[in-house]
Amino acid sequence: MAHLLLRHRDIPNLDQLDVYVKNGGFEAFKKAVTAMQPDAVTEEVKASGLRGRGGAGFPTGVKWSFIPKNITPHYVVANADESEPGTFKDREIMDFNPYQFLEGLAIASYAVQANLSFVYLRGEFYYLAKKLDACIAEMEKAGYLGDNLFGTGFSLRLRTHLGAGAYICGEETALLESIEGKRGQPRVRPPFPAVVGLYSKPTVINNVETLANLPYIVTNGAAGFRKFGTDKSPGVKIFSLSGNVNKPGNYELPLGATFRELIMGCGGGISDGRKLKGIMPAGASSSIIRVDDTNLDKVLDTTMDYENVQSVGSLLGSASVIIIDDSHSMDWVINKTVHFFKHESCGKCTPCRDGNYWMLHLVERIHEGHASAGDIQLLKTVANQVNGKCLCALGDFSTMAVTSALERFPEDFHVGQA
Amino acid sequence: MAKLINLTINGVAVTVPDGTLVVDAAKKAGIDIPVFCYHPKMEPVGMCRQCLVEIGRPAIDRATGQPALNDDGTPKLQFMPKLETACTNPVSEGMVVLTATEKAKAGQKELLELLLTSHPLDCPICDKGGECPLQNLTVEYGSSQSRFIFDEKQRADKHVHLGELINLDRERCIQCARCIRFQRDVAGDPVLGFYQRGRLTDIVTYSDPGFDSVFSGNTTDICPVGALTTADFRFGARSWELKQSASLCAQCPVGCNVTFNTRREAKSGGVMAIKRVMPRQNEQVNETWICDKGRFAGYHYTEAESRLGLDAASMESALSQAADKLAAAKSDAVFLAGGRLSNEDFYNLKQLAAKLGAKAYLYSPMAGGEYTTAYGLGAGSNLGDLGKDDTVLVVASDLYNEAPVWHLRLKAAAKRGATLIVAAGRATKLDEFASFVVRYAYGDEVETVKGLAGKEKIGDAIKNAANLVVFYGSDGLGLAGTSALAAACADLLNGKTGKVNNGLVGVWNAPNTQGAYELGLAPAADLKSELKGKTVYVIAADPAGDDPALADALKSAKAVIAQDILATATTQMAAVVLPAAAYTEREGTYTTAERRVQRFYLAVPAKAGTRADFAIFAELGKKLGVELEGRSALLVMNKIAAEEKAFAGISYARLAEVTAQWPIVGRGDLYYGGTGYENKLGLGVHLALALTPAPSTSGRGGQMRPKENELVAVPVSKIYDLGVTMAPAKLLGQRIGAAAVGLNPVTAAKLNVENGGKVQVQVNGVTAEAIARFDESISTGVVLIYRSFGIPISEPTSVKIVVAEKA
Amino acid sequence: MRLVEPFLELMTGMMTTLKMLVTEKPVTVQYPEEKKAVKPRYRGRHYLTRYENGLEKCIGCALCAAACPADAIFVEASENTDEKRFSPGDRYASTYEINMLRCIYCGFCEDACPTEAIVLGDNYELSFTDRRQAVYTKEMLILPVPQGGAPTPQVTEPGKFTRSVPEMKDPVD
Repeated sequence: MAHLLLRHRDIPNLDQLDVYVKNGGFEAFKKAVTAMQPDAVTEEVKASGLRGRGGAGFPTGVKWSFIPKNITPHYVVANADESEPGTFKDREIMDFNPYQFLEGLAIASYAVQANLSFVYLRGEFYYLAKKLDACIAEMEKAGYLGDNLFGTGFSLRLRTHLGAGAYICGEETALLESIEGKRGQPRVRPPFPAVVGLYSKPTVINNVETLANLPYIVTNGAAGFRKFGTDKSPGVKIFSLSGNVNKPGNYELPLGATFRELIMGCGGGISDGRKLKGIMPAGASSSIIRVDDTNLDKVLDTTMDYENVQSVGSLLGSASVIIIDDSHSMDWVINKTVHFFKHESCGKCTPCRDGNYWMLHLVERIHEGHASAGDIQLLKTVANQVNGKCLCALGDFSTMAVTSALERFPEDFHVGQA
Repeated sequence: MAKLINLTINGVAVTVPDGTLVVDAAKKAGIDIPVFCYHPKMEPVGMCRQCLVEIGRPAIDRATGQPALNDDGTPKLQFMPKLETACTNPVSEGMVVLTATEKAKAGQKELLELLLTSHPLDCPICDKGGECPLQNLTVEYGSSQSRFIFDEKQRADKHVHLGELINLDRERCIQCARCIRFQRDVAGDPVLGFYQRGRLTDIVTYSDPGFDSVFSGNTTDICPVGALTTADFRFGARSWELKQSASLCAQCPVGCNVTFNTRREAKSGGVMAIKRVMPRQNEQVNETWICDKGRFAGYHYTEAESRLGLDAASMESALSQAADKLAAAKSDAVFLAGGRLSNEDFYNLKQLAAKLGAKAYLYSPMAGGEYTTAYGLGAGSNLGDLGKDDTVLVVASDLYNEAPVWHLRLKAAAKRGATLIVAAGRATKLDEFASFVVRYAYGDEVETVKGLAGKEKIGDAIKNAANLVVFYGSDGLGLAGTSALAAACADLLNGKTGKVNNGLVGVWNAPNTQGAYELGLAPAADLKSELKGKTVYVIAADPAGDDPALADALKSAKAVIAQDILATATTQMAAVVLPAAAYTEREGTYTTAERRVQRFYLAVPAKAGTRADFAIFAELGKKLGVELEGRSALLVMNKIAAEEKAFAGISYARLAEVTAQWPIVGRGDLYYGGTGYENKLGLGVHLALALTPAPSTSGRGGQMRPKENELVAVPVSKIYDLGVTMAPAKLLGQRIGAAAVGLNPVTAAKLNVENGGKVQVQVNGVTAEAIARFDESISTGVVLIYRSFGIPISEPTSVKIVVAEKA
Repeated sequence: MRLVEPFLELMTGMMTTLKMLVTEKPVTVQYPEEKKAVKPRYRGRHYLTRYENGLEKCIGCALCAAACPADAIFVEASENTDEKRFSPGDRYASTYEINMLRCIYCGFCEDACPTEAIVLGDNYELSFTDRRQAVYTKEMLILPVPQGGAPTPQVTEPGKFTRSVPEMKDPVD
């Protein structure tokens, strides 16, 4: 099957404008701007059932329709912060298929009538920012960006913006603060960015992969898009597979493919022939799915879409599937995730700031074998104490792996021999 | 009037205006929800998460769009699965808030436990101990035991100087950002910020010198822990050992309500001493804020070593001598009184002078009081009420330096939508918040104001203003200039006289200049010639120290009687010196420039061998055969109320009245509004407008403007100077700096003067050294000379600037 | 019978007296030549204690004064520096006075003290000829410098004594 998003794997040199244009590039954008009303684009995307690929899975078209028309200007921001451990899909798109993403961004900008849109990249993506800047310059030269596009009076400009390397800036309101030049910390919601966003104006924030889907939808229509995936989760998805598998990497599969297809098929099975022990389907923010002899087939045959992953006690999220084999103890795994979240907590709200610091001490004690009898129970309590009280979702995410590991892998947590 | 919303909090029905936050609605109903980051004067941010409550909203039936009902017909409520923050959620119709359920209480307790994991066990030595929101909430909501291992606490710097005035303890900080938000949103001085992230988040100051803001002390009031404390109160006393005395700040004409905290202490020789100055809430004057000059310089001059005092016998003989001299002089006596005196003092002084047939003058660098008494703010005015459709004009005044709390309140008014017009000869801090900035050349003040009404947008804003308040000051002006400027400003107010929230306000340099004007005193147009050969009675003023020319004039006087609290150049040359009690040591009233009469109370016992000024006048009166009230300030006020029309109906009892104020501060819940004090002893009373006919406001002007190749020096003010009420404050002294002159770089280039270079200033017969500071916003040919820096300047005058030779 | 009965009763009483005179030891203590030992938890005159290095334990927090039901304690604090250090941390008591006439020896001050600086000793021999003598100052209350310690104020190494309240293990009763 030809790739929809990772088209560069089929077509060499797709990151060159002439190659991209030769292969149907910017036809969709031209079609949208010249032949469609902005609302029609939004309706088409709504009908396609495209859901946000950044993690939350919110329907993209619905998100656009929240933008109030009487407050201008509007902005579109592409979230290219991609900081979730285990996620590396946007990087590949931007590096090898940048024009498809930028075309998607342009279509989204037209749909919500934004004349200035941003690409927000994490600080470590400076080389991608350079590349995107060059691509944007090429597009401007070729007349795909600027004033009076295709003679319609619609004008659009794109800008890249580099963050300074903070996980929290992938949270959409923190991202907006960061673009505005402030500390990257989440805002209180409501008001939502769709009403009060960048520079207090209505703003749409979409993930890179989401945007990369748009040219296909505009060209082939909602029905064409719905050929892939399931009814509630249509389309294809890039799964970033990592951990103890033989062939880690990005794999583009229709939503609704099973874990078996991904892990055993694409990934070539568990490395060193070991046994599968746990799956983290959404990077460090996931609840860990327990896999053992009793449920191995059930888990592997679970379809990967936004609904069904819940049936095995986790969420699809950004589909950064981390495979853990039986050589690892879960106390080691959550030691890693809590370290990460403690380091990346922005410090704005108390539960995440202080809770992760506390959890880190507890998981370290457990991992190093100094834990007292009460420590494991206390870790569970602290995780519950943090969960549900934070300002943004990332605070809650920090506890997912901890609570699920404690609940599903109790045998991995030991009281120390002190 | 906003729509009213009905909701229920813990079963109590509450009705509040639309847009009210749940936490405020609860407060109004007498229900406390614990908060740290929320402050009623600032926008909510929902950072600390302490105010977790359960909120239920009426559910809507999706099918019908109507409110869903339970089986028994009551509206069905929809509760979120998570607890919500009361500080970020506005009320909505039919909302049910539960703050004390098991779930909510558990949430609050768990949150507090998390906060305490990062807090040191410092309470015994912490200056906030005893009035600390975190301490109070821990007792009320917290667990008595910690499950966190103490050794794992994060260590941080304990004693960081954020500038000379404010200390930071990084361990104690709970990252609520109240200080950062206050500086950014309320004060408009964004000099604080966060550094690092997560658990390492630190408060840092961006400015040099550190924490460079005249409102910095307020952050220590609203800091919910002991992270920010003032340097002057460091280890001064425990909060529960302090007594409270309601008083006023006497540093400027705003009249901020303050509370002096006093304590008997061994360090001060076993007597009562003022330990710190805290704001006292008066929403119509200073809200809950005070500036650093009031907090750190406030009362220090009353404790200066140069305080005067006489034993009983000497006092008696001094009084007799003074009486003899006045009796001999009769109408040849001249009374000269500074604006530091209270209304009662001015009244007795006026009576005494009148009986002698002597002239009584106010000693002030600024005139125009006849206009502020006739065109002043109407009764009931409140700068906090100004907003959309209202216009505020500030002319020739740098409020940030001259009356900081007005700066803060006008900034807030501009934010609420009032049109703020700032007209000045140089850039001021208020420009940033103004809708219109008018820049004129020094000397053009009156013409500029006269021309404002003719300008398109500004003219409309003034003419069509629902309410118009005009502030005028003495930036670059002397007596003649301010008088003409006041007249021009009053012209703008024709037709609005006496209305609420309309009027003319003089930015005086003393706390009770307005009171002196209200009681009929005014400055002499040519003071020097008035003094020659007369018996001069100088009260609460130091003309000799201010200006060598006045010192010469006093030398030519027949005799000088000086009455003051401190030894000054004038008391040194006086034949008789009468030591007066400071205002902290007695009762009295001041009239603010907004024409509000406010009471101050006794805070500490009078220094031995001093008497209140009004009592000294009464004593002299007794010797001169004039009957004056000298027993108590209250009785003097009764006489003033009976005889002075403007003061009709004012009594000490009325001045002590208090009505409910919002937000509620200073009660047990220090976490809500901070440690500023609740006002229990009087909000003050507005004067009625003087019924004298409005003075003619036409046909004056003509200011001095520099000619080609000539320099004109103009007087301007700086908040921290070397004046007598400022100099004794040691802590603030570090912020004063050296005498400086301001020059346009173009002017400076002609003189070969460098920015920051030393120059010799020859003005008013004096040669002094100063540092040159460039200011591109001022007109060429003008030299700004700061008042009270040792260079005498009272009127615009010619000046010579020479580059000082390098040593 | 009527005569004998009272006599017998008298004799019984006298016998008891006689017996006691011979068998019991006297309880009168010849104070001040002879002093009675006090019970271990007796609460007598207060002392201010020191650490082994000679630094004062008192940090001038005035919690003793706050706890005192008789308002007998007066504390005023000042700031320590490394050049002139009296106690660990930033704060020390520059004035510490107890009015022994007011004191009711309840020991609340001892309970309130976060650093175990003030302790009630076993000295009950307090007498004054002037009310002013009853005010014990810090110099009178503080114990002498222990062997190996240095008198206060000390010059100390910067950064060594940054904490006022020592990090104590869970108190064991």
